[in-house]
Amino acid sequence: MPIGGFIISVAPAEREEIAASLEAESGLDVHGTDDKGNIVAVLETETSDEMDARVLALEKDPRILSVGLAYLNAEDEIEKIASGELPPGSPFGRKKKPRS
Amino acid sequence: MGMTRRDFIKKTAALTAASYVGMNLPFAKQIAEAGAADADTWVRGSCRLCGLGCRVELGLSGGRPVAIRGVPESRTNFGYLCMKGMLFYKVMEHPDRLTMPLYREHKDQPFQEISWDAALDIAAKRFAEVKTQHGGNACAYYGSGQALTEETYLFQKVMRGGLETNNVEGNPRLCMASAVGGYLTSFGADEPIGGYDNVEKSSCLFIIGSNMAEAHPVFFRRIMRHKLDNGDNVKVINADPRVSPTSRIADMHMQFKPGTDLAMLNAMAYVIIEEELYDGKFLKDYAVFKNADGSIDLDAFYAGLQDYTPEKAAEICGGNITADMIRKAARWFAKSNGTVSCWCMGINQRKRGVWANNLINNLHILTGQLCKPGADSFSLTGQPNACGGVREGGGLCHILPGHRLVKKEKLRKQVENAWGIPEGRIPPKPGYHTIAMFQAVNEGKIKAIWINCTSPAQSLPNVDLYRKGMAREDVFMVCTDIFPTRTTELANLILPTAFHFEKTGVYGCTERRSQITPKCCDAPGEAHAEVWIVREWALRMARELNDPVVEQCVKPFVGLDEDRDLPKAIWDEYTQKLTKGRDSDLTGATYEVLDQMYDGVQWPAPTEEYALTGGTVIKFVRGIDPMADTHAKDDKPLQFYGPAHPDKKLWVWSRPYKGADEEPDAEYPMYLSTGRIIDHWHTTSMTGRVPELLRANPYSYVEINPADAARMGIQPGDMVEIESRRGRVEMPAKVVEGPMAGMVFAYWHDMHEDRMINKVVKDAFDPGSKEPEFKICACRIKRLSGPKRLTPHVVEL
Repeated sequence: MPIGGFIISVAPAEREEIAASLEAESGLDVHGTDDKGNIVAVLETETSDEMDARVLALEKDPRILSVGLAYLNAEDEIEKIASGELPPGSPFGRKKKPRS
Repeated sequence: MGMTRRDFIKKTAALTAASYVGMNLPFAKQIAEAGAADADTWVRGSCRLCGLGCRVELGLSGGRPVAIRGVPESRTNFGYLCMKGMLFYKVMEHPDRLTMPLYREHKDQPFQEISWDAALDIAAKRFAEVKTQHGGNACAYYGSGQALTEETYLFQKVMRGGLETNNVEGNPRLCMASAVGGYLTSFGADEPIGGYDNVEKSSCLFIIGSNMAEAHPVFFRRIMRHKLDNGDNVKVINADPRVSPTSRIADMHMQFKPGTDLAMLNAMAYVIIEEELYDGKFLKDYAVFKNADGSIDLDAFYAGLQDYTPEKAAEICGGNITADMIRKAARWFAKSNGTVSCWCMGINQRKRGVWANNLINNLHILTGQLCKPGADSFSLTGQPNACGGVREGGGLCHILPGHRLVKKEKLRKQVENAWGIPEGRIPPKPGYHTIAMFQAVNEGKIKAIWINCTSPAQSLPNVDLYRKGMAREDVFMVCTDIFPTRTTELANLILPTAFHFEKTGVYGCTERRSQITPKCCDAPGEAHAEVWIVREWALRMARELNDPVVEQCVKPFVGLDEDRDLPKAIWDEYTQKLTKGRDSDLTGATYEVLDQMYDGVQWPAPTEEYALTGGTVIKFVRGIDPMADTHAKDDKPLQFYGPAHPDKKLWVWSRPYKGADEEPDAEYPMYLSTGRIIDHWHTTSMTGRVPELLRANPYSYVEINPADAARMGIQPGDMVEIESRRGRVEMPAKVVEGPMAGMVFAYWHDMHEDRMINKVVKDAFDPGSKEPEFKICACRIKRLSGPKRLTPHVVEL
């Protein structure tokens, strides 16, 4: 389950309202806002696939000016890839074994 | 106590993000006391994707990458990264990685795994045979702005000094050659005068021909933040035929017909002179005026602008451009305390790309918006080492390392002496530029070509034409890469290479900044660093040719360990022998210095002591740039010492408006432009293999203005055909107020045969820079069907 730390930038006047609506989203924790319109958020998802989709959705939100990424940890997913539990390979259905 | 590992990581993620904006979180002490348990080791390097040079730290656990974070101390990105950058480590673990040399004698045969000994012998024998039978100019190297500087430098050394050919090119010809031409002809020296930090000091940002929100998201964030923090005190102008995500922060969006920006830029210059907004003292002290015939004066320059009054230009430009808009933009530009222009492929990938660059530079020279905090004429680059490796390291057919021109005998001799090879060994004539190189492949004039870390069989314009040449049975082709690509499909020999963080070397980013990335992971299988491959190839080729000069090219590097000592020795030779005293002086930027720096060194940096300060933030300013003092010709505060202008002046160019090479007509009535999408990098050989990135945008699509879509009966998601005089593709349509009416915009990353848009794009090129006009051609659009299920595609072996 990847975990990412983000700075989400919005218009300062709208930050509290947007932070509240973000907080309501599953897997997304808001840790704070400031008067410049910065929202510190942590996103936890099942896969980095889902992480990317969630970030893309945030970027497309017309209220959000920018989603800046600061940190990503994917150790669980990488362990699964290494153990063969989660083949990382083809997004198109080909199944290749990971390298040993 | 009581904190789970996941809680720990989540709090670490929050603290890392909070630290970037100076926000205090209540659990900081608790996490600090717990220590960094998310990774055993953090290794600092540069991001692999895009030209910004964001600094990252790769977190390793048990030798495997498990996490990534930005480097807050870095002046390139202050810790921020984009999702594309975050996920590049997934490429390292991918099962499609090439792990063994692959060979086939004939291109209709399947590849067979062979040993490195056999592979290097074959490569050496075939290149030696071609040189012996057809001469050195029947050999060629085509490299990449993603190769490390050490790699580009060593390849070009062996090609020029060993094989006696200047057929050394690279994909930066396709992306920033026009910016090089613009800088050299306007300022007398290549590469930007300032750097990213001008953004925060500026009052006006003029963004033209760049969708930086998607192509350079971390840099866009800086601009967005600056605008947000300063409101109306900072004006942002976005000039682009397409409304893009970048436009959303603009105070003014100037939407003009593709290619007419030359008229618009001339009109801004007209207003600056008409309203006396120019800086007379700056012009008197530092500038001269030029046209195609020679020197002119301000009055003659102004006379040349009479065809570009704002009213006349607005008529040429169409779109939403009005005379008042041009006047307002010119006033904002000229009157601000500091104006930064930023541009990218929309300006460079043009038949008149150098002129377009000149006209932007003109505005800065006229208004004195240069060489002061918050003012710069700043070309963004797309690749991480187009500047460092290719522009500075001698990776193009007409330049030698250290910004030296091939055609200058004195400069060739400097290089030959540094390499210890006989004078006269480097041919005096530049080699083939990129399009000419692949035309020569088509014609069978080039019989052996080495393609490194790039995929011209997808990235060249009018690509099907050039794929025919690469497919020729009598053209021996070697590819060094980490994955199969459209180009490896046409190769005889594929050599697997180490990826980023699997080898050591330096990238030089957009702002003249060189940064090291050390090896910290092993490459898969038997993949090797390119510097090892070139050295071993050259040694074998020396034996085949019985030519000690070929051996001499790599002799200083024999026996060195490829992980660190070999690239270090190459970097030392390049920087100490070939940049010393040049405008790109990196003498002080040794590996030892680069190892210490969070964010590398900006050249010129002639001593280690100076390099340890970070180098030169603004070129040409006495007291800031050491070479402005050592190369001073008078006592003025600015010294434009660049090698291309003997008069050491800035040149304001009178350039007429010229449209695109191929304008729409009755048969092909629409403009076609192309570009990059946020999740993907170039030809998707890497990002197409990261499912997270691929799934976000699995296919290319074409953006169509709602007015055009309605006229042609195209609904969102419909399949449409895009056809030009060169080829056709099929893509889903996205109906959006992006491109202006009469224009479509297609994304170019898709490697599926049906959707490779470069089959359609024209291969006309700028007569000066030789950069192709990817950004504009004529096409026609036809609805084929309703939405259709599509299959993503990456090349497999």
